[in-house]
Amino acid sequence: MLDFLQMILSGIAVGSSYALMGMAMVLIYKTSEVPNFAQGEMGLLCAYFTYMLLDGFGVALEIAIPLTLAVAFALGAVLEFAVLRRAKNPSVLSMIVITIGMEMVLLGLVSWKFGADQKTLPFPISPYDSVALGDIYISSLELLTLGIALMLMIGLFIFLRTTRLGMAMKATQQNFNAAKLMGIRTHRIMMLTWGISAVVGCIAALLIAPTIMHPYMMWDPLLKGFAAAVMGGMTSLPGAIAAAYLLGIIENLFGGYVSIEFKAVVAFAIIVLILCVKPSGLFARHYVKKV
Amino acid sequence: MREKFSGIWRIVAVVCLLIPAAVLAEEGVTDSEIHIGQWGPQTGPAAAWGSVARGTDAYFKMINAQGGIHGRKLIHHMFDDGYNPAKTKAGVKELQEGTGMFAWVSGVGTSPGMAVKEYLMERKIPWVGPSAGSLQWITPPQKYLFAVYPLYAMEARTLVRHAVKQMGLQRVAVAYQNDEYGKNGLRGAQEELQKHGLALVAEVPVEVKDTDMKPHVMKLRKSNADMVLLWTSVSHAVRIVGVSKAMKFAPQFMSTSTCSDFPLMMHISKGLWEGVICATFGELPDSQKALLQTYRKDAYEAFAAKDERWGLFFYAGIIFAEPLVEAIKRCGPELTREKLVQELEGLQDFRGIGPTVSYKPFDINDPMSRQGTQETMLVQCLADGKAKNLTGWIVMSE
Repeated sequence: MLDFLQMILSGIAVGSSYALMGMAMVLIYKTSEVPNFAQGEMGLLCAYFTYMLLDGFGVALEIAIPLTLAVAFALGAVLEFAVLRRAKNPSVLSMIVITIGMEMVLLGLVSWKFGADQKTLPFPISPYDSVALGDIYISSLELLTLGIALMLMIGLFIFLRTTRLGMAMKATQQNFNAAKLMGIRTHRIMMLTWGISAVVGCIAALLIAPTIMHPYMMWDPLLKGFAAAVMGGMTSLPGAIAAAYLLGIIENLFGGYVSIEFKAVVAFAIIVLILCVKPSGLFARHYVKKV
Repeated sequence: MREKFSGIWRIVAVVCLLIPAAVLAEEGVTDSEIHIGQWGPQTGPAAAWGSVARGTDAYFKMINAQGGIHGRKLIHHMFDDGYNPAKTKAGVKELQEGTGMFAWVSGVGTSPGMAVKEYLMERKIPWVGPSAGSLQWITPPQKYLFAVYPLYAMEARTLVRHAVKQMGLQRVAVAYQNDEYGKNGLRGAQEELQKHGLALVAEVPVEVKDTDMKPHVMKLRKSNADMVLLWTSVSHAVRIVGVSKAMKFAPQFMSTSTCSDFPLMMHISKGLWEGVICATFGELPDSQKALLQTYRKDAYEAFAAKDERWGLFFYAGIIFAEPLVEAIKRCGPELTREKLVQELEGLQDFRGIGPTVSYKPFDINDPMSRQGTQETMLVQCLADGKAKNLTGWIVMSE
């Protein structure tokens, strides 16, 4: 029983970083219908920027973090404005290719500037100190990640449901042209969405970096976040979050009780299964566009 | 008319004299240069081992600065394969068929090496010192492949023997990378335990793409192991030790030589590597051995990049290349591949800054004819990242 509870808790803990990446991807997809494959590397660049501030310039953490979040927002907004918006007659496929291209450029930039050696972000909370709940353990950093993920979820939920800006974002996703006709500055909304999404991705990267930091550190969280977003339905924020935690728990239970060798691929097997049964994902409503 | 014929005969004579020289000239060797190839991951998940190739590069530059070997400079062709066997194969073919290498040296990784082993051996191109202790290099032995790196299986046996006999630890578990590299370590541990009438209490495979180590550590913890042997990548090893600490599971950790660069391990584990016992294949970084000090001054300080760190992985690139350089020196001015093989076979008790290296004349039935060393050294990581020498150089016996 203790093992089972430990696996559930470990699954929830690892699910938090998947949830953060999943949220970031869903935010962009909701407004532009583009899965952003540069999401991980946008976070990566920000994590290395923080590392540079802390390690290279000796900036205090309480200054470095807000500064990085501001840079993340600017990065997201600039990428939307300078790269994606410039695409002529973009199809979804070409937009996906553009995000993959951006991912390569950002990865190359980080590898060139900081090298491929492994590093760890100086952080006051160790990923290897733990909190014990009886005989069940969770690391302090995972607890922090869980707390931040929950706060962000609630914050984003309230923001999208109750604020004019949140409403405008939803309207832009549902019908870009109608939203424009209703006076919503859709391009600005897109830019803002990319900015917010970059901040969420940056937070995920900052919470992963104290454990291990190298140019490929965001590949797995991105893939798992994307898997969670697809499972949840791509346009559903609560769906992506629930799917992320579900994924974390299933992975841990599968690793513990079935096969540790296939633990890494179980997520993708589940996606295939779910998409076969429910193509729109677990939580999204299936919109049929009128022609 | 007679003069005309005499002119033609002269031209024919000159051409006849030149043809044998051109035909006999060894690929990758000119009057002033010897071309040597090497791959190594400068990017990707195994980039921590990228310094091996950079170490070899600085070593060759040092030799060239001292006048080269018999008047020839060593031209080092190094490329980044990102630890991707497909890239290794493409890069090796491109350099071999484009520029023409005389020989290959080092090359990080079992899988990348396996991707080109057949290609090099079919063409009778010498390859010295693959940067991996795989049994694949010597089973069966290849005439042109000279291993330097201590065998992983032997390292595992030595570590397990130390745990059982010197430390009295009986419950041994292994966390191994689920590939040839990890399975070599697993096999060694199983064989050694069998000798002592014991068996592994847990075998936990780690996939290269795994990032969450909690399920693995839970299995190890459940086994009540008092010694855990880690045969994984650097980052997986660090995570397993870290998650174990978080889960209040504190066995004696032991690991392979690939995780024995203690300053690096202490840095990325934030100090958790302290107390871990590893096998190693080189003198310790702070050793006062004269040759190591010479390399530090004349190769590292003179030719390494500004941000390069003096550590085991860097001078591993020198260790794996030393036998090749020594054999080229012994060949004299008439350098051919066959002569190089002959001189390598003649190396007996050669010691640079690594273990003693000896080869034998090629014998298809004797894997040890191409396994240069059977020595290793066990070291324990101290709080400041320095190493405590536990055994000195010891021979790893069957």
